[in-house]
Amino acid sequence: MPLAPRLMKDAPPIGRRQTHDEYVAAGGYDALQKALGMKPEEITQQVLEAGVRGRGGAGFPAGRKWTFVPKNTGKPVYLACNADESEPGCFKDRQIMERVPHLLIEGCVIACRAIGAQSAFIYCRGEYPHSVRALEEALAEARAAGKVGNDVLGSGWRCDVWVHKGAGAYICGEETGLLSSIEGGRGYPRIKPPFPAVEGLWGCPTIINNVETLANVPVIVRDGVAAFKAAGDDDTTGTRLVGISGHVERPGHVEIDPAKTTIRELIEVHAGGVWKGRKLKAVIPGGSSVPVLPASAIDVPFTYGAVRNAGSLAGAAGVIVMDETTCMVDALVNLMQFYHHESCGQCTPCREGTGWLEKLVTRIWKGEGAARDIDLLDSVADTIGGAQAGKTICFLADSAVMPTKSFLKHFRADFVRAVEEGGSPVWRARAGQGARAAAGAHG
Amino acid sequence: MADVKLTIDGREVEVPRGTTVIQAARKLGTDVPHYCWHPGLKVAGNCRICLVEVEGMPTVQISCNLEVREGMVVHTESAKAKQARRDVMELLLINHPLDCPICDQAGECKLQEYSFEFGSDGSRFQFPKVHKPKHVRFSEKVTFDAERCILCTRCVRFLDEVAGRDELDIVNRGDRNEIAVARGAELTSPYQMNIVDICPVGALTSTDFRFKSRVWFLKQTRTVCPSCSRGCNVTAGARWNRLLRLVPAENQAVNRWWMCDDGRLAIGHVGADDRLGAPLVRKDGALVETTWDEALRAAADGLRAAGANLLALVSARLTNEELFLARRILDALGTPHRDVKPRAWERDELLRTGDGNPNAEGARILGIAPRAGGRGLAAWGGSAIGAAFLCGEDLDDRPELLDALAKASFVLVLDSRETATVKRVATVVLPGVTSFEKDGSFTNVDGRVQRLLPVVSAPGDARPDWRVLGELGALLGCGAAPRSADEALRALAAAEPAFAGLSLGRLGALGREAAREAAR
Repeated sequence: MPLAPRLMKDAPPIGRRQTHDEYVAAGGYDALQKALGMKPEEITQQVLEAGVRGRGGAGFPAGRKWTFVPKNTGKPVYLACNADESEPGCFKDRQIMERVPHLLIEGCVIACRAIGAQSAFIYCRGEYPHSVRALEEALAEARAAGKVGNDVLGSGWRCDVWVHKGAGAYICGEETGLLSSIEGGRGYPRIKPPFPAVEGLWGCPTIINNVETLANVPVIVRDGVAAFKAAGDDDTTGTRLVGISGHVERPGHVEIDPAKTTIRELIEVHAGGVWKGRKLKAVIPGGSSVPVLPASAIDVPFTYGAVRNAGSLAGAAGVIVMDETTCMVDALVNLMQFYHHESCGQCTPCREGTGWLEKLVTRIWKGEGAARDIDLLDSVADTIGGAQAGKTICFLADSAVMPTKSFLKHFRADFVRAVEEGGSPVWRARAGQGARAAAGAHG
Repeated sequence: MADVKLTIDGREVEVPRGTTVIQAARKLGTDVPHYCWHPGLKVAGNCRICLVEVEGMPTVQISCNLEVREGMVVHTESAKAKQARRDVMELLLINHPLDCPICDQAGECKLQEYSFEFGSDGSRFQFPKVHKPKHVRFSEKVTFDAERCILCTRCVRFLDEVAGRDELDIVNRGDRNEIAVARGAELTSPYQMNIVDICPVGALTSTDFRFKSRVWFLKQTRTVCPSCSRGCNVTAGARWNRLLRLVPAENQAVNRWWMCDDGRLAIGHVGADDRLGAPLVRKDGALVETTWDEALRAAADGLRAAGANLLALVSARLTNEELFLARRILDALGTPHRDVKPRAWERDELLRTGDGNPNAEGARILGIAPRAGGRGLAAWGGSAIGAAFLCGEDLDDRPELLDALAKASFVLVLDSRETATVKRVATVVLPGVTSFEKDGSFTNVDGRVQRLLPVVSAPGDARPDWRVLGELGALLGCGAAPRSADEALRALAAAEPAFAGLSLGRLGALGREAAREAAR
């Protein structure tokens, strides 16, 4: 299975950042020079033809999104780069920000040129201090070199890029929650319509793209559509950066040709296989919000379409691997604690429902549940959302529901066992330790 | 803008482009359940109870933020829409304290109403509820219970969007969310009590009204606030013949959905201890109770004797009908000395007009002002006063005038309270009633004639002022006394072009504009 490093082709090893001069020596900012000679619509057309889909998880074609900016509103247009990377299991964007930040900066400036913006905000999660530092250092270099600022490459065109740090809320990675946060408000997602492309930051047209999506823009402009489409297939064009974590020998990230790489290959070749010689039990392929796949369903290419057909979503390409010793009740408790904690509380179903899910699965986990609680968990999940539910403003509720439903669908036996055996193995071991400790203390 | 035709629950409706589905449904008389949506506030879309099914759309949609489109087919009562609503209801109640038996909102609570309509009779939630602060003081006027709150943010949006004071927000996250004022701060908006009205549940309560009565025991009457010339429409709630609260009643031409706190809380005078319950005449320096016949005769005699020399102060807190009947008397006496006492009231940009006389405009139209050679209130202090008629007024705030009046030979006072003026200077006292105890109309600052309705009955033998002035006029040869406020308004309508064609019935709930141009 061919490796397809493109974004990370010239990336220095982890821990070191590619400098401006190194980037330029490798052909960096040539695309920007080229873009400045193009009409904005031509850039958009090229990105449209390249078919690059949003790498933040939703997979919406970036070029089409750009065409949604209304013309001649008299308002400024903004670009917001979603660098919040808050989805559990995802750590691909930080590879770009920390190692090849100029690629992202160049992508931002070209995108601004295409959509008619002169300000880009990179909203970077607060837990990524290294990313923030790398971006800020790179931005200082780019400004000094005239790639960003009042006179981009001597063209007389002004374009600035700013880094905005998040403060730790998962919800601020939701694109409109991100806008609320940049504006200094509570990180509440916004109802649509109006869509951000029409009314985004401060009521002005705003395009929001993921880090990796924007990093692909210089590649498209520099190498052309055909070269870009050499990787991937009609469904998923270009490469994908994937993070692999969990029960594997070598957790890490890899840039792949999604059409030529299966989930199995991601695990067995790129991550050295399931650790400790154990068997695979389950994979969450796209970050914690997408449905879990059983080990039998992983022989599919990592394209949006193929993973969807397999019953999950490629999402933000955070592959979470669980080995045969995993109790899926443990895993779901962890996820439900997360979604309950991160629900912004704006919409009734999510605010009230995520807590209920956590309480229910915790009860089963602790062996305090009854068989009917398993059905109730499934039913409450339906109550609050699910794929194509539309019951809430954003997808957080659905993101809690999709794992719940799929865990129960594929691994119901684990839940039944937890009910019948007085809790999950982890809980029982922990409770047992507690009991021994207590006995020791009293003995 | 061009109209859009759509179908809601099988019925066609045409509405302007840009209308939302929830509004289009209202046009058909269908009230899609809603908590966070309020016609006077921006759309928040957070409660999710207004979900409807739209043909061709894969997911249920919130009708409050869904714009109508030509040919749209909406179902508010389909299985999918109903299930979505039931699901939201179930979730709203899992952490709610369900303390209806001790909650002030019971009886006018949307949670109760929708539970009754489509909720469940049990709960599948068997865990300890999330606990939050209770009886939180938001100000001396508003008390908050975070556990009852459903986080719809109507209060947050009202203060920000309407009252212009961004004093509330949400703190914490998820099911720990709470509405809060800034630490150490309290609400300061003079319109803050509107958040109690628009709170769809029992989270925000009026510190003044809470625990006074279950709302279903209130006799609710639509009338007009008498605190300023805006004439905000109100629903007055009474029990045990006591006026217990005012809440705004919607009138888009006057106060939309709101009213100011001062107006809302200005109800203490109705049940005050110093209400007059019987006519009084002064005998040997002391006021003694008497019969209406005797008092009216004494009043008529005194007025007749004073004739054109009578100084009259007519209150612009009286109704149009009363002002008309008072003017009839003054015309018969031929006195040019007539005036209205100005009444200051803080002014703002939202509702408060700055004129504390609720019927200032009625008095202006009816020409209650000094005639040629007449002595206005400003000139009362100039020289001795022989006889005076304080018609619905007092001069408690003008002690120097009371000194002058004390020396007058005849002072007739028509008022509802035993004021210092009554005690010190009245020769004859006719007990009138407050605006909450009589029928009639006020003309507001914009010339809208609005109807008052009695909410409680007046104490003792007090009579509506229109009746007193009618009977007094009859004794003075002004013609028959009207038998009702409506008859008085019809007589006024016949005499004054500005009021032509009006009757109390024709005012309806929302009032009618007076033809003010005719009066000029």
